[in-house]
Amino acid sequence: MSTIVCKQICKTFRQGDEIITGLDHVDISVETGDFLCLSGPSGSGKTTLLNAIGGLDTPDSGEIYMGDLRIDRLERGALADMRLHHIGFVFQAYNLIPVLSAQENVEFVMQIQGMVAHERAQKARAILAEVGLEGMERRRPAQLSGGQQQRVAVARAIVSQPDLVLADEPTANLDSVASAQLMGLFSKLNQDHHITFIIATHDKRVMSYARRLIKMQDGKIISDEAQ
Amino acid sequence: MSVFQSQARVVLTLSWRNLWRNSRRTGIMLGAIAVGVWAMIFMTALMRGMVDDMLNQGIRNLPGHIQVQHPAFLDDPSVVNSIAEPDSEFRASLDRLGAVRWSTRIKVPAVIASERETRGINLIGIEPAAEDDISGLPALMDTGRFLESDQDQGLIVGARLAERLETRLGKRVVIMSQDPANNIRERGFRIVGIYRAKLPELEEFNVYAARDTLQQLLHIEGRVSQIIVVGDDYRDIEPLYQRLRQLLPATLEARAWYQIDSYLAAMFKMMDGFVLVWIIIIFLALSFGLVNTLVMAIFERVREIGLILALGMRPGLIVYQILLESLLLLLIGLAIGNGIAYASIKPLQGGLDISAVAEGMAMMGASSVLYPKLLAADMILANVVVIVLGIVTSILPAWRAARLDPLRALNAT
Amino acid sequence: MNNVILRMAWRNLWRHGKRTWLTVGAMIFSNSLLVFSISLQFGSYEMMIDNSLQAFSGHIQLQHPAYLEQPKIRYAIDNVTDRAQRLRDTLELTSISARAAGFALASSRDRSYGLQILGVDARHEPLVSTLPGLIRRGRYLEPGAREEIVIGSVLARNLRIDIGDELSFLGSGFDDSFAAGVVTVVGIFESGNADLDRSVAQVNLVYFQDSFAMGDAGNSIVIRAAQIDDVEPLMSRLKAELQGSDKVVARDWNELQPGLRQAIRADMTSAWFMYAVLIVLVAFSVLNTQLMSVLERTREFGTMMALGLRPARLARLVMLETGMMTAVGLLLGIGLGALITAYLSVVGFSYPGMAEMSVKFNLPERMYPAISLLSLSLGPLIVACGSLLAAIYPALRLNRLLPIEAMRAV
Repeated sequence: MSTIVCKQICKTFRQGDEIITGLDHVDISVETGDFLCLSGPSGSGKTTLLNAIGGLDTPDSGEIYMGDLRIDRLERGALADMRLHHIGFVFQAYNLIPVLSAQENVEFVMQIQGMVAHERAQKARAILAEVGLEGMERRRPAQLSGGQQQRVAVARAIVSQPDLVLADEPTANLDSVASAQLMGLFSKLNQDHHITFIIATHDKRVMSYARRLIKMQDGKIISDEAQ
Repeated sequence: MSVFQSQARVVLTLSWRNLWRNSRRTGIMLGAIAVGVWAMIFMTALMRGMVDDMLNQGIRNLPGHIQVQHPAFLDDPSVVNSIAEPDSEFRASLDRLGAVRWSTRIKVPAVIASERETRGINLIGIEPAAEDDISGLPALMDTGRFLESDQDQGLIVGARLAERLETRLGKRVVIMSQDPANNIRERGFRIVGIYRAKLPELEEFNVYAARDTLQQLLHIEGRVSQIIVVGDDYRDIEPLYQRLRQLLPATLEARAWYQIDSYLAAMFKMMDGFVLVWIIIIFLALSFGLVNTLVMAIFERVREIGLILALGMRPGLIVYQILLESLLLLLIGLAIGNGIAYASIKPLQGGLDISAVAEGMAMMGASSVLYPKLLAADMILANVVVIVLGIVTSILPAWRAARLDPLRALNAT
Repeated sequence: MNNVILRMAWRNLWRHGKRTWLTVGAMIFSNSLLVFSISLQFGSYEMMIDNSLQAFSGHIQLQHPAYLEQPKIRYAIDNVTDRAQRLRDTLELTSISARAAGFALASSRDRSYGLQILGVDARHEPLVSTLPGLIRRGRYLEPGAREEIVIGSVLARNLRIDIGDELSFLGSGFDDSFAAGVVTVVGIFESGNADLDRSVAQVNLVYFQDSFAMGDAGNSIVIRAAQIDDVEPLMSRLKAELQGSDKVVARDWNELQPGLRQAIRADMTSAWFMYAVLIVLVAFSVLNTQLMSVLERTREFGTMMALGLRPARLARLVMLETGMMTAVGLLLGIGLGALITAYLSVVGFSYPGMAEMSVKFNLPERMYPAISLLSLSLGPLIVACGSLLAAIYPALRLNRLLPIEAMRAV
């Protein structure tokens, strides 16, 4: 169930009296192991597309499949389960639960999945080491830098081996060094674990890491090329 | 470890840590809950103590938990409406009844005259040995002695009556009453004891003599006015009452204390209602703060709730998490409140002197020392009401938090 | 204080509308509850006093100094009828009546009971006591008539007699002589108070004086004031008039029925304990809300201080906000409380078990709360004071703010 297929999805928003087109008959198909960047100016529809694929938002029309499962018609609870078991998220900011330590944040998803405690802890420590945060397991988010926080978020996104990681402007609040480290981490994880990555960004440096670059404008895909 | 346990753990962790995020707010709310719960329990214990005292005294003054008498005696408490003393068979079955004590007594209206004054009184003929359990009279003796046998020739009067009659211990007084044939019978008695009742007006009216002595005086050998039965606990008299009724011939009538004195019965019934109303009023006053605290706690972390929802926590778990947060708050508040209540009632167990309003309390039928009565049932009731209603009031804010759209919540400012 | 500050305070209040409403809600709840229960309390105290005093004892009695402690027939006032008449003239009050009282054994054909016989002035007695109005069967005493008696319903039942039947009484008179007589029952009263209905009978004062060999003496002159507030001025006039007399003193209702005031006091104490708890809980609510509101605005306050506002000014702003919130709670609480109370003062209020209670305290079976300016405002004003006190701590915290740190705060 790893191939993602979007067929003719449309989404409009209302802002005051204006109707804004978010997505306009978008067709897209993503293969397992892809490392894909969605780019375009703000308002082009990249975040909307990302949210629709992640089940955080439902399109007005069209169909979205994850493997054989049609996800755009699932109810709230089933969507939550789908996110829990198949998708990892990295947001622009405010990624972590402030009352939990770095390790607990990473364990959070696994804990809700019901994984055994020691296995969970082991995995969390391993993945934190992998993202370069060894020794910071017990720190609370407020005691970590922005880059470190994002790395914890990445660790959490990939720790339970999701099929897909969605990242929305993950480097927006990071300096160039931290950005480069984060993107290096993304590519490494993509290669090592065969996890599909879809990253929405307007950062040129981020795009350079992608193997496939989709450009969007006014809710439409204007180019889709491998690089 | 099951999925459920694992989820419960994380929900508990989140709830506990979130509770202490804004420790000032939590502290103030804990203070409010503790004060509220303390007030619930403390006030209830004082009221229970007062009403219990009123009921105990009231029942001792009736006296007894159950009275057996001639059906016409109630309306016409005259010597004519007497009953036969229980025969040996009846005595045996009364003994088997399971009562703490039963006893016969005579009660007739009479007039008492000293050298200077005359008064109308209740003349009561008792079996002195039983009286400790029945009216508690022996413990009220002020001067002189208590009656020693069913044939004792002495008379016991209240201190106030003695004063009114301008007589004292050792003096003779004349008692006048009627025999069943309507002849006035009179006889001199020596006052052998003077008692002080907790309710002063009783001292003026109740005069005690030995049962057999009065039977002789009134020409009713072998007859009495009432059989008094006392059980273990006045609250739970019904089984004994039913057993007794089955035992009685149709010519005798049995009445339980709550039928004899409707004021006592009303107090008894009202007390439970009062406790519940009081607990609920305090809870309502608390509930505004509780909802306020939750609403603010949720408002402050809308984005976080959005994140948790986005990560795939089911909305139901969010509801549980917030309810658990509320439950933890309530439980800690309750623990403190119960603790303070216990600590403040304990030193008062020896009695709270309220003699400043003694005569007012007497008007209500209570004495001037208040013994708070901490009933486990009341404490449980207060705690259960706070927990159950507290959770119920928390459901709406929790449910609204779970209904948040993760996307909007994440982007909230 | 200018308009801008007022407007700012008002808007700040509604920045968290839900929170403000919840706090105001707590005030409205407590205020309306206080209005209702204080009105009910005042109403029932008033009725308790009125009913208890009117039943029998009156507001003031003139007695022999020893009579209160020892109500014996020989502690008497001379010339009691004339004295009462003089009092009616000088005080310009008709509700004054002379009484005498003695104990006797009353016998019907087949029963005897001890009871208290009162000699009353049949013309004036109905003005000081409600008892003559409670005749259920027959009629009240006719002025001056001899050998007539009215008795209570329980006594009539116990003596097995009815209107028109004869009753003989035997007691000891003024000079320790035997007092005896035969009277005809002309009326039976029923007050609902079993003690009174069992143990009291009334005859005409002149007849009593003859039978009990009292001459022109009596035991008390009962005065019923038009209202409870008149008692104090009446007492001071009476005391002035009776100065120097060692045979007569004036006793007000506190002395006559000490239990009454104490019962009210005991009830007041427990009621105020309950009110205090409510008030404290409201204060907690206000403290919580205002502290949160101050803490979350730290940054904003920092900016304002940087602009040159003094902390004291900001503290006043917080107090002003609290004042506004309290005012909303006060007005709505009084309004709601008044509505509920007004409704119940028309239809009456009762709860299970009240009927039995009310007999004990001379109250009717339904209670009607008495709305007054005091009963409406007393509770809510104390709640308002409590709320303002609770806001002092959050307001004072502002004095500890330093602009730079405050602006850095999140």
